[in-house]
Amino acid sequence: MSSRWTNRDDDEDEYLSQRKKQKEEKRRLRDEKQRKAEAEKANDLNIDEVGRLPKRLRTASPPQEDAPEVTHPFDNSTQSFGSSNTLDLYDVLNSIDEGSYGFVSRARVKGSGEVVALKRLKIDRSVEGFPVTGLREIQTLKACSHLHIVNLREIVLGGPSLQDVYLVMDFLEHDLKTLLEDMSEPFLPSETKTLMLQICSATEYLHSNWIVHRDFKTSNILMNNRGEIKLADFGMARYTGNPPPKLTQHVVTLWYRAPELLLGAEDYGFEIDIWSIGCIFAELLTREPVFQGKNEVSQLSEIFTLLGTPTTKTWPGFRSLPNAKALYPLLNTSTSRKPTLNAARFPYLTSGGLQCLSAMLALNPDDRPTAAKTLSHSYFKEDPRPKPKEMFPTFPSKAGQEKRRRRATPQAPNRGDAPKLEAEDFAGILKTAEHEPQGAGFALRMG
Amino acid sequence: MARHASLAIISNSLATSKQVLELKNRDATTSVVDANLFKTSLLTQFAGLLLHLPQEVIATSIIILQRFLVSSASIATEIDLLTTSQLIPEASLVSASAASVYLSAKQSFYPLSPRSIINVYALLTSPEASLLSFINSNATGIIHSSEPPNSRNYHVSEGAYETHRQALFDAESRILASLAFDTKVVLPHTLALTYMQALSASTVPLAERVLAHLNAALLSPQLLYLTHQPNALAVAAIYLAAREQEVALVDDEVAWWEVFDVGREGLGFLVLSMGSLNGFVEAEKVSWTGN
Repeated sequence: MSSRWTNRDDDEDEYLSQRKKQKEEKRRLRDEKQRKAEAEKANDLNIDEVGRLPKRLRTASPPQEDAPEVTHPFDNSTQSFGSSNTLDLYDVLNSIDEGSYGFVSRARVKGSGEVVALKRLKIDRSVEGFPVTGLREIQTLKACSHLHIVNLREIVLGGPSLQDVYLVMDFLEHDLKTLLEDMSEPFLPSETKTLMLQICSATEYLHSNWIVHRDFKTSNILMNNRGEIKLADFGMARYTGNPPPKLTQHVVTLWYRAPELLLGAEDYGFEIDIWSIGCIFAELLTREPVFQGKNEVSQLSEIFTLLGTPTTKTWPGFRSLPNAKALYPLLNTSTSRKPTLNAARFPYLTSGGLQCLSAMLALNPDDRPTAAKTLSHSYFKEDPRPKPKEMFPTFPSKAGQEKRRRRATPQAPNRGDAPKLEAEDFAGILKTAEHEPQGAGFALRMG
Repeated sequence: MARHASLAIISNSLATSKQVLELKNRDATTSVVDANLFKTSLLTQFAGLLLHLPQEVIATSIIILQRFLVSSASIATEIDLLTTSQLIPEASLVSASAASVYLSAKQSFYPLSPRSIINVYALLTSPEASLLSFINSNATGIIHSSEPPNSRNYHVSEGAYETHRQALFDAESRILASLAFDTKVVLPHTLALTYMQALSASTVPLAERVLAHLNAALLSPQLLYLTHQPNALAVAAIYLAAREQEVALVDDEVAWWEVFDVGREGLGFLVLSMGSLNGFVEAEKVSWTGN
């Protein structure tokens, strides 16, 4: 008779053998997993452009093949060329914006459902064939691969006639201009720093690749809900060189145009982009474009009001610029004009920030820092530190047709006679504004 | 496949083997296609010279033209032109050549007006005044400023200009669409000079031969610039030039081309192709005068 014990021993044996099996199975799986991981790792490393295993790995575990095959970096990384796709691949959803030079709409990729932005180029082929501005936009955007520059996916044709050409780009929810207009308070100092760092890193990338953007402004800077900005609209961008080729002065939206361009300089360089970024910096702080001239002359006078007038000492050679002659009366009557770019104008900006801003807004292009130099400015290292982009607030998207809170606007007028306005009413309207004391005011949110 | 960003600045989009096969197999005898490819490339080179364009812009034009011809190889109407055996290239091939020059110049620092391009092509395709011997059998290939060709033979009237300009713009659009607007071309010339310095073999006579080989390779009917990356072209040109001039680059035993990421097999093919170009051109010349 078998006792319960023996029975139990059998059970235990069985149990133990099962355990053993399980253990073995587990070990096998683990080993396999590890092997796979190693293989993947090796694979990942193989993709690096040298096409060979990095030294560390090579010495640690030499490849097993008898005759290691030498691969060359170009062997498996070749792009081919071929015809453009057509617009049929996309469903157009809603229009977003009409830029200086094309219509932008939101669209969905048929099949995948991904949302993209479609920019239709305005093409008038009668004068110069395919417009050179469009070619440059495509050429420069294609050459760029940077986290803070909008990604050009492809170029599609609207039809067989080649009249309609669309750039397909990643869709971003916001542009900085619309966002600033709708915010009740400006970005926090830490957020401003993050945004400025992103803008400057994109600029540094462009400039080191010999591309000058020539149309920096808040409406050309897109932002997503993950705290990332991307530079867009390369309609004015082009390659430049050293020495620069002959360049047109008809670039950059007036409010962001550097003084040397307004004065008619023909051999300008990357400094004009830095000026525009300075304008954007100021706009991020106050939500208002800093210089809002009505024409070239009033733009210059706005600039000189804030920054003082140039002298031959601060900007040697500015008097020999083509349009400088027209300025002589302005310069002579206001010789005593001193810069008013100070803490009173930007109350929430630290002295480091003010220094960074005024460096970018130097009248003399040679005095402006490069994008790379701006990135290492002490302003970005002092407290409050730049906010991690993951911590950014999100906003309802206008381009995505999301509901937004309306800002208070005056009521529509009631029926009846319109109130009479006399010229005298306006006589003093601007005078008082000039003498109004500027104070720091009060801010609830800090950091 | 995603390319590393730093590699992109020294690499080109290449033709797939299917594209090249389609082009070459259109006709039973590839020699007609080859002859047309060579003539159109040569026409482009001459136009660029007459328009005072720098060689980098001319080279870009030729590569864009060849890419267009390869890319549109599946389109019957385009390829029929390449398989037509005649001395003067089809009008539409001439337009494609003109448009590629116009497009490349437009994107460079040396833009040109449609008028200058149309004038130069009118001269080059005139059987009486052309400098190309396959078009004008009396051509010497040299312009004598003392006795310029009679301008009556290549005058472009205002009406003809309008027609030509429209054809130029149409061809430009066709090129752009068939390349999906990928007009970026990286040339091997500067790479070659850098490699020569790296090999401590940077002398003027050697550099002249290297650049000559690179420029000649542009005209090769084997479409070398569409099938090989700039680094390989540069290395092959250096190898060939050094052998011609009997310059010892490095120790014979050393596979120095591996340093520039070129394999023995690829180098061998390129050296053969570049070396055989002379024979091909001589044979072509005979066929022109023979007709």
